[in-house]
Amino acid sequence: MTVEAQGTGARRAVSELSLLVDIGSAWTKACVVGRSEGRWRIAAHAAQPTAWEEEELLATLAARLAGGVDPRIAGRVAAQLADAPRIAVHTPARPGRMALAAVSSELSGAAARRAAEAAGWVVVEQVTADDGRPVAERLAALQVAEADAWLISGGFDAEGGDGALEMAGLVAAARGGGRSPVVWAGSASLTERVSAFFAPGVVRSVANPRPSADRENEIPLRRFLDALIERLVERGSARQLAPIGFGRAVAELARASRLRVVGVDLGARYATWASADDRGIAESRVVASGGLASPSLTAPGGPSQVAHTLPMPIDELAVADTLQNLRARPGSVPQTDDELAVVQAAARVLLAELASDGDDSDGIDLLIGSGRTIAAAPSPAQSMQMLLDGIRPIGVVQLAVDPGAALGPLGALRDDEIVEGLGVLRDDLLAPLGAAVVCRGGRPGHLSMRVTVHRVGWPSVGPIDVRPGELEVVALPRGQVAELEIELDPAVSLGAPRRARHMHATVHGGAVGLVLDARDAPLILPRRNDDRRAVLTAWRDAFIRERRLPAAEAVS
Amino acid sequence: MIEASVHRIRLPRGTAVRVRVGAEIRPDEVIGLRRGAMSPVRVPLTQALQRQPDEVEQLATVRPGERVEADQTLAVVEGHGSVVAPLAGLVLSLSRRDGTLLLAPLGAEEPVIGHVRGKVRAIEEGSLLVEVPAARLRGVGGSGEAVHGELVVGVGSPADELRAGAIDTGATGRILVGGSRASAESLTRARAMGVAGIVLGGILDKELRDFEAIQRRRARAGGPSGAFGILLVEGFGKVGIDPQLFSWFRTHAGRVASLFGADSLLYVYDAAPLPKRRSLARVGDSVIAHKRPFQGRGGVLVALLDQLHATHSGIPSRMGLVRFEDGRLAPVPLANLEATILADRR
Repeated sequence: MTVEAQGTGARRAVSELSLLVDIGSAWTKACVVGRSEGRWRIAAHAAQPTAWEEEELLATLAARLAGGVDPRIAGRVAAQLADAPRIAVHTPARPGRMALAAVSSELSGAAARRAAEAAGWVVVEQVTADDGRPVAERLAALQVAEADAWLISGGFDAEGGDGALEMAGLVAAARGGGRSPVVWAGSASLTERVSAFFAPGVVRSVANPRPSADRENEIPLRRFLDALIERLVERGSARQLAPIGFGRAVAELARASRLRVVGVDLGARYATWASADDRGIAESRVVASGGLASPSLTAPGGPSQVAHTLPMPIDELAVADTLQNLRARPGSVPQTDDELAVVQAAARVLLAELASDGDDSDGIDLLIGSGRTIAAAPSPAQSMQMLLDGIRPIGVVQLAVDPGAALGPLGALRDDEIVEGLGVLRDDLLAPLGAAVVCRGGRPGHLSMRVTVHRVGWPSVGPIDVRPGELEVVALPRGQVAELEIELDPAVSLGAPRRARHMHATVHGGAVGLVLDARDAPLILPRRNDDRRAVLTAWRDAFIRERRLPAAEAVS
Repeated sequence: MIEASVHRIRLPRGTAVRVRVGAEIRPDEVIGLRRGAMSPVRVPLTQALQRQPDEVEQLATVRPGERVEADQTLAVVEGHGSVVAPLAGLVLSLSRRDGTLLLAPLGAEEPVIGHVRGKVRAIEEGSLLVEVPAARLRGVGGSGEAVHGELVVGVGSPADELRAGAIDTGATGRILVGGSRASAESLTRARAMGVAGIVLGGILDKELRDFEAIQRRRARAGGPSGAFGILLVEGFGKVGIDPQLFSWFRTHAGRVASLFGADSLLYVYDAAPLPKRRSLARVGDSVIAHKRPFQGRGGVLVALLDQLHATHSGIPSRMGLVRFEDGRLAPVPLANLEATILADRR
């Protein structure tokens, strides 16, 4: 808000506001950006179910601003918000639907499916030569599939193969003409023969995602399918799509901060994984059915997987009903402790699936969580636990959340404007959770790591001994910087290529603090229910209990 | 006033549509014919023409994906003869390994039924758009095929469970409105009795899955093949139907309805408008709660609480005070409520 002089000598209050809006499939999130004492700040943020009217959201934002604005404009805030310029992104109206035919479910089928799902497609039907179904059944399945496009994959580049041609013939028979495009992502030597099965111009050929038995190359197919979905399903500016905007903002954050940044946005329908190196070179994976209303959670085996990670004894049948209700009404709020526990466990499972497809072998410097379940969890410790348990970022990593869901809208700006937008809002954009040292490996009966925390102006803490399967949380508030001296067991790795036993790292504090995590990756849980729950309860309690300095003697 | 909705009938590929735009169709009317593919057969081409297997693609006059008629030429060598299709079918592949053509014979013509009544508005690639003079109810889940039949209410109150013993031959060919739940046993009995479909407030996910598994096993073993659909209107678990909706069903017992389980849709023909749902409830509205511990319970929103309040789970939310039908007063997140509004109050 600024105050302008008027000719009479009286001063007239004029506000400078704009809105960042992310319209999700279940929740709409909005931030008010205003100028305060010469600086642009995020002055308020709010979220509501997308089905509610916009006036409601503006009224909520106005109410949150009420205490902080100049009294002369207090009565006009809602009207000014309605007129304020806005930068908006939205979740795609519907995912692209893909029918997939491949030779092998483990090789060509798996690679093609991963590429399609990472580009935001939903595979509505998949047939493979080894799926155990008779040919007539495969054909019938493809004939009833409601698909926007067809993807055929199979055959190694050097060998070709009749199997791939048979799958292409199956698609040609099932498709029976029409306008839907066919993508051939199989053996390069078969391209001409496959194209001959279809009318001219129908087949688009892309590099084989499985060119040989020991090599995968999904990126060209993923990029092609990215462009295809934009052309077939979401015409118009791709920048206005929330997953695209989120990826662009993460890339710019990485470039500007010279850090390796990973952002995960877990929504109701979509899950987005955006990773960028310190030059801002980014890769995104957008999984159209990877969100909390994901069918994978309610499919057979899904509820049991979620129930397996719960610290409390909740019946698997109740977990299944809760997950189904989450799918049916994603705009609702978990009302009971049990329901929240199931939702957060589901988030951990989905994050683990998302992380398992990524290659972040160089490590992550900054991990950002976005989406209501992670960024608006009742406590920062719960956000931290979801990110660490789900993603298992090996190494020394900073963690933060995007509480106002501002990254997506900022990523919708033009390239030069993103830089400016992220720059001016840098202090408000992310809420730091703190840092974590996450190690892999460990030997029973030995320490995994011994960490000493040196803080400027404060006594040092430690050394803190962390054994395999344990985690320790050390108080390190926002704004405080600490130097870590880390001594590792020879059987433990922080992901660095060289297995150095002594390391130093600088970390920044946050709402949770510093987490020393020796729980291995992936997490290893006891098989017996009682033992597993005891371990999970201990971990949960370690995150949420009031942080204390460890009993170990402080080193001055 | 009778509402009209536009319904999209998906047509399996290869369906020959038999109706025109503007035609009035009935739920049991055949709107198209389709010949499904059967187990494929190999037709030797190169052997019959005394050529090498790897020449098959040069000799073939058809390509994979094509539909061929019986006696149509499949391959030819000028001056040496030809091979014709032994029956009508779809060409799936040509093998260079053994010089054969893989042909999926087409089965007998099967009728395609739309299961809705209405006027055909458009015929598109793979679908038919029909204007349906019916009240349309979208549920939160469902299962099974498209069915149609007369509506019949099978329970006394919306909170009652649909018991297996309550399903008899009187419900054969009808769509049964159950209450808050039906067990896998009740569903199995309903199907065995020839019930066309069931509308429920809730169902346990496990029981629905058990029922679906039983049906799949029976289908494989050649059991009863009659279509059966399930529609879920409130949520998973034991969840009563909203009392206003239940009373609407009672009023419309005897009307013909079409149920699309997989699409979670129900049309009731020549019906009064359904009680509407509004996602943001206002003070004084009748509401239904969608989350535990109040899932499926109706009440009245009596007040809105100022500012955010934490739910039991700790999530700060906008809350309303609801007086439930059992007299209990409880704070509930507004996001977990829907207002139910009768047609005459809109």
